[in-house]
Amino acid sequence: MSGARVLVVGAGLAGLAAAVELARAGIAVLVVDQAMRPGGAVHRQPLPGGRSLASPAQARRWRALMSEVEAQRERIEFACETRFGGIDHSGAVLLTGAAPALFRPRALVLAVGAREAVQPRPGWTLPGVTTAGALQTLLKTTGTPPQGRVLLAGSGPLLLALGAELVRTGRPPLAIIEAGQPFSHPAPSLRLPVSYMVEAARHLARLVAARVPILTGAHLRRIAPDAGALMGEVDTRHGPRRFLADHIGLHDGIRPNDAGLTDCAALPVLRLGDCREALGAAAALADGRARGRALAAQLTGTTPPTATSALAREAAAQARLARIYAHDGAAQLTDLPDDTVICRCEARTLADLKALGPAPSTRQLRLDGRFGMGACQGRFCAEWVARIVASDFGDTPRPVLGQPRWPARPISVADLLAAPNLTSGETE
Amino acid sequence: MAKATDHDVLIAGAGIVGASIAWHLAEAGLRVAVADAVGPAAAASGASDGAVSVASKKPGVMARLATGSLLYTRDLAARGLLATAFAARPSYVFGTGAAEMGAIDALIAKLAELAGPVRVLADGGAGLLPGAGPGVERLLALSGEGHMPGHKAVRAYLAHPRITRLWPAALAGYEVDDGGVTVDLGTQRLRAGILIGALGASTPEIFPGLPVLPRAGQLLVTDAGPRGALPGALTAAAYLLAKTDGPGHEVLPPVVIDPLATGQFLIGSSREDHADTSRVDFVTLRRLLGRSASAFPALAERRVIRAFAGIRAAVPDGLPIVGPMPGMARVILATGFEGDGICLSALIGREVAAMARGEGPGPDWAADFAALSPARFSAAQPGRVA
Repeated sequence: MSGARVLVVGAGLAGLAAAVELARAGIAVLVVDQAMRPGGAVHRQPLPGGRSLASPAQARRWRALMSEVEAQRERIEFACETRFGGIDHSGAVLLTGAAPALFRPRALVLAVGAREAVQPRPGWTLPGVTTAGALQTLLKTTGTPPQGRVLLAGSGPLLLALGAELVRTGRPPLAIIEAGQPFSHPAPSLRLPVSYMVEAARHLARLVAARVPILTGAHLRRIAPDAGALMGEVDTRHGPRRFLADHIGLHDGIRPNDAGLTDCAALPVLRLGDCREALGAAAALADGRARGRALAAQLTGTTPPTATSALAREAAAQARLARIYAHDGAAQLTDLPDDTVICRCEARTLADLKALGPAPSTRQLRLDGRFGMGACQGRFCAEWVARIVASDFGDTPRPVLGQPRWPARPISVADLLAAPNLTSGETE
Repeated sequence: MAKATDHDVLIAGAGIVGASIAWHLAEAGLRVAVADAVGPAAAASGASDGAVSVASKKPGVMARLATGSLLYTRDLAARGLLATAFAARPSYVFGTGAAEMGAIDALIAKLAELAGPVRVLADGGAGLLPGAGPGVERLLALSGEGHMPGHKAVRAYLAHPRITRLWPAALAGYEVDDGGVTVDLGTQRLRAGILIGALGASTPEIFPGLPVLPRAGQLLVTDAGPRGALPGALTAAAYLLAKTDGPGHEVLPPVVIDPLATGQFLIGSSREDHADTSRVDFVTLRRLLGRSASAFPALAERRVIRAFAGIRAAVPDGLPIVGPMPGMARVILATGFEGDGICLSALIGREVAAMARGEGPGPDWAADFAALSPARFSAAQPGRVA
């Protein structure tokens, strides 16, 4: 595995679009992805023999991109089931899994997609409670829904999309609990791109036909074990309601993802698509193409292309979408019971956070409170710790759990030691 | 004309050495303030493993000081102050090859000469420690040492009600006169009877004549495995050699495998002459981890969740700098511990507090503290003036 290639992490829309543009400029590219097949979160492919839940438009977009990839296969190599461990200050990257290596790429393109936010609430760490994204991954790879009753809660368009996909697989969710009130805006005032409206209408039609209740302005306040299942207690605009479910999918929006993904002075590091700014599929594709071309120009010493307006268009649409879904969900954090788990890695509670006193420093949060010290290193709790700390003192949330650095995710010691060292001029 | 003082003693630096000095002075009834550019345990004291170890110290002054400090740390724990910070536990030294065998022989001789609380329980092969692997040719099991996470001890010391906390406030300069010291903290100037510099790697910024050099160490933390799998720190004999030889002489990685209370492992560390904490690289940590996994193979089942670097304050002759600045009795230094601050902090705090009260180190310690005096550096001059 030569170090003269550009490493693209993430074989979704952004990563593959960039890989195609780099290859067209004559640059060799290695694309790695943790999944068994390319696709990313949006175009996640079913297991061999599995049924695809992709819409015709999605399937067309994916086929078109993959045919561009196929045309450049001389210069694009894939390594699936391969995990990116991070980049260090010297420019060395670590890959583990199917194609392990420690090497120095020519440039690093991070296109790892967004991070799903899940807000702490009582019971959110119980078995059977997952992220909505995890349910969708299961659905897309196996083509079959989870066994039993499913409740979806949180906020954002993903809940409607996932609900509609569950309907298609014959297992409609019990309900969708949406904190925002997206339907209170008259459609023409939204000025959303037609493609957004068409997709939303298709999801809603499926959900309505299956009589799935969509409760807006509602919060899943608490989850409790109940006779081998999960009781979800919901505050609605018309009073409390309860749902007995076997699975609860939580989703409180998506966020850019830079956890453990450091910059590096030794080589160009590019962030593309949703991991840089969560703007959705169309933006990821446009971003991958535009900035892939710009990186190719930088590496080959040619004139960079002029920027296109596609990204700005998608950013504007996402901003409108965010306003449509705007809600006070984070305010629920101030009313949480003291025993609510905030850090699930080490089961640190709101009471543990409050015990640190007013305005705790990063050191206090980490060393004394042990927030962000477990396996996830704050990937899941840092946002909420920052909000809770800020809400006590009227500040705006600030990053509280330290700098990102490798490992990008926990790395097995055995894998770290086994990866062949291809960094030149060094011995171990 | 001397002005009234705000504090009897102002200590610059809220690491473990500054915190211990502050507690001892407050306990003696003095008005003490502690200033720090960042906050408590912000540098080496918060980035380290926390071994309270005699075995790892150079023979002579350092081993004697460590012995005294270990006994006094145990005493402070028994009296309650360090009860939640300090825990006694066994420790292990392993080695392979001639250089490390020699280091282990020297360690046994050193401990016999000290005749202190640290004793050799057993000297044998890997069989002495369940879980020890093929990288262990010889193993020494020791009793009497302990473990004290730096941030916990700092918190315990600084909780004393007579300590005024000043942070973030970096020491920018000072001026000595007959009646005291005017201390410039950037946003404010304070008067103190005595200034104590416990600044670690920041020492040269205020005392440019002193050869305190940053020595970075890379470390990693694993996820949690079964607790108690390793009863105490497992240290390569190469670490003893590294303490004596300084960087650049390593034959084998000087690893220390420290089992944390959570079931996680802290594994360190490299020794690099720079102050850049962003330099954390796969090749260096693989080297440490490779030796660690060969000594304790259960580590191969763990995952690395965090990698980072800390900065030690090193002195070329391997001894810390403790005592009044030459010709300047109102300015006392306690710095340059190069990772030994946690172990030595209890004793150093007690004796430096005695110096600040004009009582000097006790007769048992006068000779050893003389070896630590800043006067040993001809370039030691009064530092930056406010």
